[in-house]
Amino acid sequence: MRPVLTFAQMTVRSLLRRRTVWGISIVILLALTGIGQVPGYGVTTQGRFILDFGLFGLEIGALLLAIGLASNIYPRDRETRTITPLLAVPLSRGQYLMGRFTGAAMIQAVSMIVGCLGLMVVLIVKQHAVPADLFPATGLLVVEGWFLLAVVFFFSFWTSPPLNAPLTALLFIVSQLSVSGFVGLFPRAPGLMRTLRLLLPHMDVFHIKDPIAHGMEIPGVYFLLAIVYGLSYMAFMLALALAVFRRRDMK
Amino acid sequence: MEDSPLSVRKLGKTFPRRLGLSSFRAVDSVDIQMSSGEILGFLGPNGAGKTTTIKCVLGLLRPSSGSISLWGEPPGSRGARRRIGFVPENPDYEDIFTPLELLSMFASMRGLDQDDRKERVLLSRVGLSGWERTRLRSFSKGMRQRVSLALALQSGPDLLVLDEPTGGLDPAARKEFRDIILEENRRGASVFLSSHLLSEVETVCHRAVILAKGRKVSEGTMEELLRTEDTYSVRYAAAEEGPEDVTEVRVPGDLLQSTIDEIRGRGLPIVSVAPVYRSLEEVFLTATGEEGPE
Repeated sequence: MRPVLTFAQMTVRSLLRRRTVWGISIVILLALTGIGQVPGYGVTTQGRFILDFGLFGLEIGALLLAIGLASNIYPRDRETRTITPLLAVPLSRGQYLMGRFTGAAMIQAVSMIVGCLGLMVVLIVKQHAVPADLFPATGLLVVEGWFLLAVVFFFSFWTSPPLNAPLTALLFIVSQLSVSGFVGLFPRAPGLMRTLRLLLPHMDVFHIKDPIAHGMEIPGVYFLLAIVYGLSYMAFMLALALAVFRRRDMK
Repeated sequence: MEDSPLSVRKLGKTFPRRLGLSSFRAVDSVDIQMSSGEILGFLGPNGAGKTTTIKCVLGLLRPSSGSISLWGEPPGSRGARRRIGFVPENPDYEDIFTPLELLSMFASMRGLDQDDRKERVLLSRVGLSGWERTRLRSFSKGMRQRVSLALALQSGPDLLVLDEPTGGLDPAARKEFRDIILEENRRGASVFLSSHLLSEVETVCHRAVILAKGRKVSEGTMEELLRTEDTYSVRYAAAEEGPEDVTEVRVPGDLLQSTIDEIRGRGLPIVSVAPVYRSLEEVFLTATGEEGPE
């Protein structure tokens, strides 16, 4: 465990010093500030608007952070040949993947929490109530971000960074579709499309901005199940990524 | 066999080309056996398969055929990795770190105690005293090579694998590197040294393996490699009185005795009889069929 944590720490330092994360975080915060400036039709609707668009901004932020943080880590390690001495001596491939993933996941989580706090500040400044479910909802977005990170790592072991971003974004979009919406993409093979939809992740479970914006109460067990679902899918994607990575030759 | 730091048997590595429609055999049926405490030179022209072999040894490439064992363990195993120090060709660590940070992180990843004082001593040993807290982005190629050597030496490895370690160094730094390699060997480490610098191999190695086009073309102790095949130099004085005017003849082994007898029969004193040695460059060129090492 110690090598993984040290490598994760190295990854955090590396990402922070490369300033990628700062750029994305600033964009998210600017977007949140912008949302606060939009005039509402009434006090209640403005609060809903801020919450709805704020959480939507965090969802997109999770996707951008995952791509921005992780799509270039492995290709850069290969390009600069940093990976050779790392894998040759102190780390196994599993430790490399887990170290890089943990480091990026830590930054992802902190960025999302900062985003959530930013949204909270906007709500308070505009004199709207902060719903109690805002933090658990952000927690779900953090888990979604981790899942997306695992997807990005998986793609990065067999595609280039320019291809990684659209593939991840495509999966992000497709995995929000309902079964009927997904079957509608290729109606000639409904059985196949239904099966495919079943296998693909259901990321819509992480998006609860609408019920929160409308003040609906969400049971605690929902959060728990959604987190377990997200973490399980994340673990599956990481296992898949490791299986691909283990077979890669470090030419 | 378990005592052998490195045992490579019939190693082969093929890379697919053109979407797998054709392939390229980079290493073909290579055998290497290292003894404990040995410095083994690994020679070959560019594209001979040296780095591919090293990457297979380190578990970075999966062999297409054959087997590799390090102290009886497979390459890439935790046990083997712990005992290896590796200096890659053109090392390029993340340049946003300082040497001290890298050493500290590698120590932790290797499960070693982090000791700032020890790390400073190590950096001073490789000639980086005063550069401990400077980020690598302002380092020259030679300085990065020194950082790489410090990282390789950090765990007191039983086997040092060096892939062109002195490529970017000036002559003085090369000598420092050589001295460190010899110090490590005296400590008990075995050294696997891949190099283009034949003089370096000739100076420090006990034995050498020469590779060409993926195949092993020659192997032996430096004595065996440099000695010409059964040719002797016979030096004798041209006059009976003394060795002022010495003449040398080179004869094959089967004619040695008759030549000596003939010279003695003429009453001329023999000054010396010795096997003829070639330079490593000559050995290399003959073995590889190349015009010269690049």
